[in-house]
Amino acid sequence: MKRIITISLYGVLCLLLINRAYAQNVTVSGTVTDATTGETLIGVSVAVKSTQTGAQTGPDGTFSISAPANGELTFSYIGYTTQTVAINGRTTIDVKLAAAANELQQVVVVGYGTQRKLDVTGSVAQVSGDDIAKQPSTNAVSSLQGRVAGVQITNSGAPGASPQVRIRGVGTVYGDPNPLYVVDGVWFNDISFLNPNDIESISVLKDASSQAIYGVRAANGVLLVTTRKGKGKPSINYSGYAGWQTVTHQPKLASGTEYATLINELNRVSAPTAPLTFADPASFGRGTEWMNVVLRSAFTTKHDVTVSGSSDKSSYSFSGGYFKQEGVVRGNDYDRITAHLQQDVQATNFLKLGYNVVLQGSKSKDVPGDMIYKAFTAAPIVPVYYDDGSYGDPNDFPIGSSTNNPQAALDFFNQRSRNYRATGNIYAEAKFTDYLKFRTSFGGEFGQNEVLGYNPVYKATATQFNEVSDLSVSRSDVRNIIWENTLTFEKSFGDHRITALAGHSAQRYKSYFINATAMGVPYTTDADLYLTLGPATIKGPDGKDMPAKTVADGGDITTFQSFFGRINYAFKDKYLLNVSLRRDGSSKFIGDQRYGVFPSIGAGWVISNEDFMKDQKIFDNLKLRGSWGKIGNASVPNNLATQTVKQDGSFVAIIGGVPLTGANLTTIVPPYVYWERGVGTDIGVEMAFLNNRLTFEADFYNKETEQAIFNLPILASLGTSNSFLIGNQATYRNRGFEFAATWRDTKSKDFSYSISGNFSINNNKVSSTVTGANPIYGGGAASTGGGLATRTIVGQPIGQFYGYVVEGIFQNAAEISSSPQSSDAKPGDFRYADLNNDGKIDPKDDRTVIGNPNPKYLFGLNTTFNYKQFDLTVDIQGVAGVDVYNAVKGLRFGAENFTKDFFDNRWHGEGTSNSYPSAAIGGGRNYLPNSYFVESGSYIRVRNLQLGYNLPERLTSKIFAKRLRVFANAQNAFNFFGYKGFNPEVSGGTPGNFGIDNGVYPIYATYNFGVNVTF
Amino acid sequence: MSNQKYIAKALSISAFAMLILSTPACKKSFLDVPPQALEKSEEFFVTQEDATRAVSSIYANLREWKQTAFAPIAIESVGSDDAEKGSSATDATFFNAYDNFTVSSSEGQLNDFWLGQYQSINLCNQVIDKIPAIEMDASLKSRYIAEAKFVRAYNYFRLVRAYGDVVLRLHLPKDASEYNLPRSPKAEVYAAIEQDLTDAAAVLPPTYPASDIGRATKGAALALHAKVAMYQKKWADVLNYTNQVMGMGYTLFPSFEGQFRIPNENNSESIFEIQAETLSGIPGASNSQYSQVQGVRAQSGGGWGFNVPTEELADAFEPGDPRRDATIIFRGETTPQGDPVAATGDNPRYNQKSYVPFSTPFVQNEGEAQNVRVIRYAEVLLMNAEAANELGNTAQALSSLELVRARARGGNSAILPEVTTTDQGQLRLAIWHERHVELAMEFDRYFDVIRQGRAAEIFGPKGWKPNKNEVWPIPQNEIDLSAGVLTQNPGY
Repeated sequence: MKRIITISLYGVLCLLLINRAYAQNVTVSGTVTDATTGETLIGVSVAVKSTQTGAQTGPDGTFSISAPANGELTFSYIGYTTQTVAINGRTTIDVKLAAAANELQQVVVVGYGTQRKLDVTGSVAQVSGDDIAKQPSTNAVSSLQGRVAGVQITNSGAPGASPQVRIRGVGTVYGDPNPLYVVDGVWFNDISFLNPNDIESISVLKDASSQAIYGVRAANGVLLVTTRKGKGKPSINYSGYAGWQTVTHQPKLASGTEYATLINELNRVSAPTAPLTFADPASFGRGTEWMNVVLRSAFTTKHDVTVSGSSDKSSYSFSGGYFKQEGVVRGNDYDRITAHLQQDVQATNFLKLGYNVVLQGSKSKDVPGDMIYKAFTAAPIVPVYYDDGSYGDPNDFPIGSSTNNPQAALDFFNQRSRNYRATGNIYAEAKFTDYLKFRTSFGGEFGQNEVLGYNPVYKATATQFNEVSDLSVSRSDVRNIIWENTLTFEKSFGDHRITALAGHSAQRYKSYFINATAMGVPYTTDADLYLTLGPATIKGPDGKDMPAKTVADGGDITTFQSFFGRINYAFKDKYLLNVSLRRDGSSKFIGDQRYGVFPSIGAGWVISNEDFMKDQKIFDNLKLRGSWGKIGNASVPNNLATQTVKQDGSFVAIIGGVPLTGANLTTIVPPYVYWERGVGTDIGVEMAFLNNRLTFEADFYNKETEQAIFNLPILASLGTSNSFLIGNQATYRNRGFEFAATWRDTKSKDFSYSISGNFSINNNKVSSTVTGANPIYGGGAASTGGGLATRTIVGQPIGQFYGYVVEGIFQNAAEISSSPQSSDAKPGDFRYADLNNDGKIDPKDDRTVIGNPNPKYLFGLNTTFNYKQFDLTVDIQGVAGVDVYNAVKGLRFGAENFTKDFFDNRWHGEGTSNSYPSAAIGGGRNYLPNSYFVESGSYIRVRNLQLGYNLPERLTSKIFAKRLRVFANAQNAFNFFGYKGFNPEVSGGTPGNFGIDNGVYPIYATYNFGVNVTF
Repeated sequence: MSNQKYIAKALSISAFAMLILSTPACKKSFLDVPPQALEKSEEFFVTQEDATRAVSSIYANLREWKQTAFAPIAIESVGSDDAEKGSSATDATFFNAYDNFTVSSSEGQLNDFWLGQYQSINLCNQVIDKIPAIEMDASLKSRYIAEAKFVRAYNYFRLVRAYGDVVLRLHLPKDASEYNLPRSPKAEVYAAIEQDLTDAAAVLPPTYPASDIGRATKGAALALHAKVAMYQKKWADVLNYTNQVMGMGYTLFPSFEGQFRIPNENNSESIFEIQAETLSGIPGASNSQYSQVQGVRAQSGGGWGFNVPTEELADAFEPGDPRRDATIIFRGETTPQGDPVAATGDNPRYNQKSYVPFSTPFVQNEGEAQNVRVIRYAEVLLMNAEAANELGNTAQALSSLELVRARARGGNSAILPEVTTTDQGQLRLAIWHERHVELAMEFDRYFDVIRQGRAAEIFGPKGWKPNKNEVWPIPQNEIDLSAGVLTQNPGY
């Protein structure tokens, strides 16, 4: 480390000693404007060609530069085609820059810098902030759904939950499955704190060579988020919307009568001769529609104000936002305020200073996490309230105690959460010469989460009650710092263009939590909700005093230290070479395993820039590129290989009638865990035709995840309390193709449109596992009685569903006795296939692969149309070739409600059904993992639909506004799928557990109306 | 460039350099972060106090859910003619598969029971393997090891009865190569159990001072050894071990019913009990659900009402046998402790041996303070009678049997006449009958009948099949995970 810095410092000093002089200069000044709109452009870089002299246009679009009278000036600006103008002795030169139609001239954000799209040799996709902010999503990442080929975004739907992101198939899934988010240089694993409106762009690094510069955390992909900077004349922008959210595809549940009928049937299965539980099911009628009791159309609104601007010496942008979202579950409210503060200043002509700060505060009134499940399972024969006003009690009905009254659960749940977060960085850039820049950035995150819960004394039903009040307060905080220093060298020598980067990064992540509880805190107002108001002791039920308060805490610290470097080389804009190397050290690993080295290389050939292509008319651009890189994953829990001592209440022995503290070792730990590594290859082609109106990009990729960190189930006979051993258990591969095409055309002054489509194919395959030819099983769930529903085996995709194949339903006893499954089946049970025809059904030979949870096809279609003052956006997105294990169908403990679909199709006597079983679906042999539960998870949806109208200037000028647009938006309004659960988007789960629907949030649609005005 | 600018640049560079060089990032220790807020294994099994804590964990773990609640009900009780699922018809219907012998190898309780026993065995193995290296009081050290061996024998006995051949782990695995072991033949498992019990009996004291009540005693090791020998028909050993226990001063508790109540725990008849208590203020310590899961359903105690006595059991008692009312809570009755049991309810009968009066306070689970009676002196007497009868010592058989009946009789000479038959076959049946009614609902009956060789006759009508149902299937998950190293029992 020391040596590297010393060397770089010497280098810096040497470079400083080089002095330069120019002769016969004239001062050239002028104005730069947009060729189409005529607006002045601020911050355009003006350079004297083949020298290091440069200037920028000021707020009025003017510039002034000293240059040789016979020299040339180069004008470059992000998003515009670079123009070179010969001076020819002139002192005034006005330039009109044309917006870059050619994508290659566009600049994309890459790791630790930006690159012209032309120079990129990996696979990088950039989505603009405007496209993101168009959608009414809480989390900016949701808006990426369907926009980038090969990127699967799965929205969980639960309020506040972050969507799951998978780039090119399952990356790593243990520990933290999120990609790395780099927001203005600060690393995060979640950006739900960020107001989508504050985002300038999100750049998705898809291939290993682009990701490798972030070695340590790149295995799940990298999303580079750039927040908005002030640009141009001072302006004030307001945007806001209001609307409502409503659950779509709410599954129809059985009515009171249907439910009572099903319970009768269920009880008859185990006791065929017992009297019917409900003599007259019809008397219950429609019953209580519990879903409607707990769900609502929920109001949502958002307001953002941004003040921004820039001059030739500085830029600033300050924004404030307010967002309110009512949950679709009654009583759930979420409020968020955000502020984004950005400023930079060119302090001297070589030193630039700046900062980016995001502040966020949110509060929510929570509801029980399983509220939808509670409503889904609650018995429709139970009323919300009895006539006397007391709660309807399932225990008053002969249906056991497996369900409860959701209204009571909602009413007595009292929890509020608050979250505060300050993130950002300050940076300084020293430009030693025109080609050498040093940047240091110090950033971090301070976040605090507070949860206050009060469980009052109440009695709602026989099973929903609380006798002693308890107050719980928890605080958790994160204090993360990241300090990064980079030295960038950028220079052209004739036909050679070189950018070199060397850097160092130090990161420290600290988390801490403290939870405290107090019993017996009285409540009259919220002012009483303090632990200190509770008694020190309360009388235990045994009459003895017991402490009434508890406190517990814990925490974690992780550090990283890294060095990295990269060289980009381009020759004549035809031949491109990018090489990078990163060495990471992490405190998560010990000894020799502590360091990982992550190299990458990429090459590109811009064929359309070759001389022999000059005369052809077909391609405006044709580029081939290929890359290879290694990336790492350290996102495993800390202290994996540290065996710890268990000591808790369950180990307190009673000896001689008194408690004796107990402790013991109950786990086995892996001896060591290595970095998980990804090795990826990408071959791509980029094309543009018809005056750049049609662009096309295709990629083939192959990504091996080596030493993948997996849960390996532990044999119960080891007697450990951990049922899994975490370690480097497998190597697997994602291989596929991605295609993206855009057609963009301006038909007239009044009409322009663009249509973008993307499509990707991914195949996942396990190449090896530590268990050799033996499978790794997973997917044990309550709905399968703990039976293992997935299998990972060499040569097959990860975590395929594995179980029996349902051939039909046993119609009668005779059919059972003549079948291989003999005695343990009952009429109405699944008839499993005897796959090896040996005359019996056994787990060894008669289970097989019954589905694949790894999605094969992703697609998206994004269109915009502009006609006169109107604009229309239609985004369509979907997933195909994926299976979901609909475990909810069998997740039963007793008398939970059924779906209407099940009622209508169930077996209830000979000949009634040969596909749906009897009401005894959740038990016995019926809930063995089997093909009945596997359904297609394919869907297609109109993700977003927006119609906007720009008020004509003659109207807006009356209120001194530059621009005023009103819009109406519908998100998730139309969904098409065959899946029988709430929502085919099933996220989460470790390897071997994904794609299992144990209860997901329903889809909800958001409809809103908004306005966007700039002064 | 002016001089000033040079100076400014030089200054800024030196400032950066100093910043970089002074950062902790440059020190190697930046990456050395010790585990936060965790007690590490290297710091354990060092002191005598660690040894004490480790042994305590073994006893505490015995009252845990998989040891005392659903899994034993499934594996050790509802298969018998004495008990059935109970509760509400729709709740936990998987128990029915154990009652009517249609259980498939994937059923969850098979895995729970298996895992529960092996978790306890791991705690014992930790003690047995690691305490020897601790510098501590030598006699306490050997006693701790003996206590662990007693519990390990108890766990293996439950396993071998339930599954036949099982994985035999007498030490902690040295490395991953010892993670996946095949099943050991039943005979080897029994031999290991007997060795543990021999070792334990040689070291454990016959009695403890009041402050150590609840620990395994020599009497417990001998009594369990007798039962283990009985399952192997080693009658001379059974007689020997039970005779030894009978010389240790145990007496039958005068009230058959009273011995199961909380105030009478660890009484003169008690040989080994799993200790449980209501412990206010120690979160998670009042975790026994033994009584709760069997408690009277939907009454103020809030029991779940599983594992209920059958009509056959109610009919098995001789006329007037007070043990009938002490074993079974009948719907509509008022318990001796004064709890009225509702006449309308899901189940006509509940287990009275696990019953805790409704008003008993609790912090975590109803009836959490109820100890589980694992071995009672009455069973030692009945094993003694059976062994003596098998060995032709009719007089001792009759006298041991009579001790049990006399206590049940409670001085009422009109009931439970003394058994006088000297016919070995008839006496055997009389002793078996006595076991049935004396030990009913104590999780003994199911495997006892199988041991007697009468399961086809007694359980056959509800589906029990010979050459299959003597043992339950090995949990399917475990077979899957073993990649075929573990084999399934025949017929499953």
